[in-house]
Amino acid sequence: MARPRRPRGLSVLPVAAGVAAVVLLALLPRLVDSPYALHLMVTFFLAVIMGSAWNLIGGYGGQYSVGHAAYFGIGAYTVLILLNTGGLAPWWGLGPALLLAMVVAAVVGSITFRLRGPYFVLASIAVAEIMRLAALNWKDLTNGAEGILLSSVPPLEIAGRVVTRFDSKVPYYYTGLGLAVLVVLVTVWFQGSKVGYYLQAIREDQDAANSLGIPLTLYKNVALVLSAFFTACAGALYGLYVGFIDPQTAVGLDVSVQIVLTAIIGGIGTILGPVVGAALLVALSEGLRSNVLTDLLVAVGIVNPDSAVGGFLRDNLSHAHMLIYGVLVALTILFMPDGVLGGVKNQLRRRRARASAGGAA
Amino acid sequence: MRSSPLAVLATALLAAAPTTSRAQVKIGVVNSMTGQAAPIGENLTNGIKLAEEDLKAKGIQVQLVWEDDTGKPQVGLSAMDKLATRDRVVGVVGAYTSAVTNAIAKKAEEYKVPLVNPVAAKEEITRQGHKYVFRVSATTADYVSILLDMATTLGKPRSIAILAENTDFGTSGRSSAKAQAEKKGIQVVFEESYSPGTPDYRSTLVKVKEKKPDLVFMVSYVADAITLMRQSRELQLVPMAFLGAGAGFSTAQFASERNISHAVFSSTQWTPDVSWTGAKAFGERYQKRFGKEPTYHAANAYIAMMIMGETAAKAGGDREKLAAGLRAGSWDGLFGPVKFQDYGGYQNQNRHQMLVEQVQDGKYFTVWPAALQTARPIWPFPGWK
Amino acid sequence: MTVFLQSLLSGILVGGAYALIGVGLTIIFGVMRIINFAHGDLVMLGMYAAYFLFTLGHVDPFVSVVFVFPLLFLFGALLQKTVINRVLDALPQNQILLTIGIGLIISNTMMLLFTSDYRIISTSYSSGSFRVGEISVSTPLLLSFVITAAVTAVLYWFLMKTDTGQAIRATAQDRDAAQLMGVNVKRMSVLATGIGAGLAAVAGALISPTYYIFPQVGQPFTLKAFVIVVLGGMGSVLGATVGGVLIGATESLAGAYVSSGLKDLVVYVLFLLILLFKPAGLFGKSRA
Repeated sequence: MARPRRPRGLSVLPVAAGVAAVVLLALLPRLVDSPYALHLMVTFFLAVIMGSAWNLIGGYGGQYSVGHAAYFGIGAYTVLILLNTGGLAPWWGLGPALLLAMVVAAVVGSITFRLRGPYFVLASIAVAEIMRLAALNWKDLTNGAEGILLSSVPPLEIAGRVVTRFDSKVPYYYTGLGLAVLVVLVTVWFQGSKVGYYLQAIREDQDAANSLGIPLTLYKNVALVLSAFFTACAGALYGLYVGFIDPQTAVGLDVSVQIVLTAIIGGIGTILGPVVGAALLVALSEGLRSNVLTDLLVAVGIVNPDSAVGGFLRDNLSHAHMLIYGVLVALTILFMPDGVLGGVKNQLRRRRARASAGGAA
Repeated sequence: MRSSPLAVLATALLAAAPTTSRAQVKIGVVNSMTGQAAPIGENLTNGIKLAEEDLKAKGIQVQLVWEDDTGKPQVGLSAMDKLATRDRVVGVVGAYTSAVTNAIAKKAEEYKVPLVNPVAAKEEITRQGHKYVFRVSATTADYVSILLDMATTLGKPRSIAILAENTDFGTSGRSSAKAQAEKKGIQVVFEESYSPGTPDYRSTLVKVKEKKPDLVFMVSYVADAITLMRQSRELQLVPMAFLGAGAGFSTAQFASERNISHAVFSSTQWTPDVSWTGAKAFGERYQKRFGKEPTYHAANAYIAMMIMGETAAKAGGDREKLAAGLRAGSWDGLFGPVKFQDYGGYQNQNRHQMLVEQVQDGKYFTVWPAALQTARPIWPFPGWK
Repeated sequence: MTVFLQSLLSGILVGGAYALIGVGLTIIFGVMRIINFAHGDLVMLGMYAAYFLFTLGHVDPFVSVVFVFPLLFLFGALLQKTVINRVLDALPQNQILLTIGIGLIISNTMMLLFTSDYRIISTSYSSGSFRVGEISVSTPLLLSFVITAAVTAVLYWFLMKTDTGQAIRATAQDRDAAQLMGVNVKRMSVLATGIGAGLAAVAGALISPTYYIFPQVGQPFTLKAFVIVVLGGMGSVLGATVGGVLIGATESLAGAYVSSGLKDLVVYVLFLLILLFKPAGLFGKSRA
């Protein structure tokens, strides 16, 4: 008799840990009364949503899109335009935004998925750049380079009761958390689903998958549409939260690259890889940018703020943050090609193997 | 997803936050120190450093908390949250770009932290009813109006070609120029935006030349200004006057390109040779210290920090008192008279006297308004050297 | 008519420098199958090298090419030997990321060393021109085009007539087969990266008298190089040469007849169309 099999990655311990983490995160705004900490958390959730969304098509499907800024931008622009010019509340505006992102993804996918490897990468960049240039030049709709400044978000009312007025970071925090948890759950489902399996087969060997009768373009498209859906969610949340978008910040190449970095640094094709990547990158870039690292070294007592070293760090560490970022990206790729999560897992596996070998001897 | 490392870090940092010592005034600086806008951001940094020295010389113990916005609004927000809640600064000076300033102005209002903006030009920054946002800088429309005023006084231009880069400052400059030119009865014969950083503008300039405009008005950053003028010379474009809206047309580098910069006009907020008290001394000191001439960005940033530092010291580190002090005060120095006023839809906006400078044989001279001029304007454009 | 001819001419002349950048990228891609996202940063390094040779050593930027090429050749070769070599068999996304990382490191190191100031090379001919009928021809642009043509000619000779050149071409055509034939593939990769970097830098040096220099100047050139290489066929040197000139001309004509703000859009749309309908490019062999 066959034992009932749990889907991969769903044993009791991780589930319990996951639930505990979510509960802790849900309580955080009550425990920590620091807008700065909440802001970093919102940034973290945004990175998780984008990284995990990319992971669906990039990680599981092996289709390395470096043009996800297109969907991010569609989410941000549609919601903000509808809100500013039509007065449509964002939770209604999200509908058309997501629909548009999914339609565009389906169109882009059916055109570009015939391309493979580097050609697909370049095509995805081209699509995003075309969107950016469109946003830059279609002034009547997008206000061009001047960007869109959000007027104000109307309060959310359900059945006549005001749920939130969006006047603090807390509603954005919970929206971000909710979406992040959702996208992680979708990833769990996706990994065990038929689409997920087929996609992984496509990633491993496209031609073999094709000869097995898996319709390549269809499944790639399904994954891309799903990925675009969440990326657009992130874009909408970003636009509302920051309150200002312009072509460079919403559809720029930097956005696409950032999304890819998050997923790959953490480890692609895994459920938690993008989460780890998001945590690392957000903490790192903020730590370097704001000189928090120097402050920390001073506070712990490693560095004397008045010494030459302290002065040097204070003057240069924040300037050098992009440099250090680059170095870390390169080091990760060179020494942990499966991402940080993958690297750590490999280390543990090796240690365990060594331990059991030692036990046997 | 075990306990988020970020949350741990955040709480650790909160615990580690240094406390403010009594004698110090803690002021935040948000500026583009890296990223695309960094070359100009550096001028602001330098200006603020000089202000820091002068404040200390006056016995005001300022402690500056520097934050890099990398030219991105969301990073600026992050910086503002940190400054307002973790560093607990009394006020903030910044930012350079209009996009970042717009974003952090909203935050300043939310936290009730006075923000003095040195040099972002976009009109709407001080038109949104913000009570804690003060702007030293003139606005984009001011860059245009002083030039057109001068042009219509010195000559009788009938047509204008407008060429602006496809950025925030560029597009708003372009629409301002169009509106103001039409009001003055000058026909707009050519109007286009270009993407900055292109090595070749010849195809655009040859179209401009075909229209034979009296005025050629351009909005460009440093380097594109030089490229555009070099290629205008190549194509022998000879209008009645070349007008540049600040930025790229008012840098020492541009002026030093003698054979393309001669007789080009540029609107600017400040010049080292203007007769405002202390302007010359500031120019010399800056030159000595940083090895280059100060741009108006540096002077704007200097004055913004001086005003912030002095007022904050008087307010004893209290944000409300600081805001009240900024609203009530008036200053006069190397930047001319400064006062934050409400007028024409603006709030807490300094009504700054714009200047027009002209390159004459590789040197800038202030040529407009007549009361402040250090040289007579060369009009019309004498042709290429 | 003047507008057309003027735009076409300057487009073609600018295209010469684009072609060199594209050829560099295509050689690197051909031999190692790696898309170099740091390519524009190599162009930037070439510009800085020319700038310092000019300001400190009074070497004319066009003459400086003789020094810039070997300098960046060494840099590229070293980069390949120490870093890129390690990811030759890695997943393509890791290769891409690594080059993105390298690009960040290069541009930000330059920023720390030399600040983000714009630097301008002013030569006596920087805005010089002469007239042919109604059309003005830019002296520095024409000179740089001539040098580009010469460099390309030497490159062709090297690739076609020398043993090493043929080995590089063999590696580009089929890495495994080349290895079986006794070609030292590792050495070819080092050489190819060196040559690619050198060519990008030469292009940078040639543009420098008419352009400006700052640490982030590279990125647009990276994207442009991608377009050129795909247009010509990835790995095809001839294709990249023609592609560069074509893109230069297209940009310029689009600037004249569409709008200068939209010329990049025209280029990207063209790029997508090529990818979709002729993914092997104009001169590439299909690798499907």
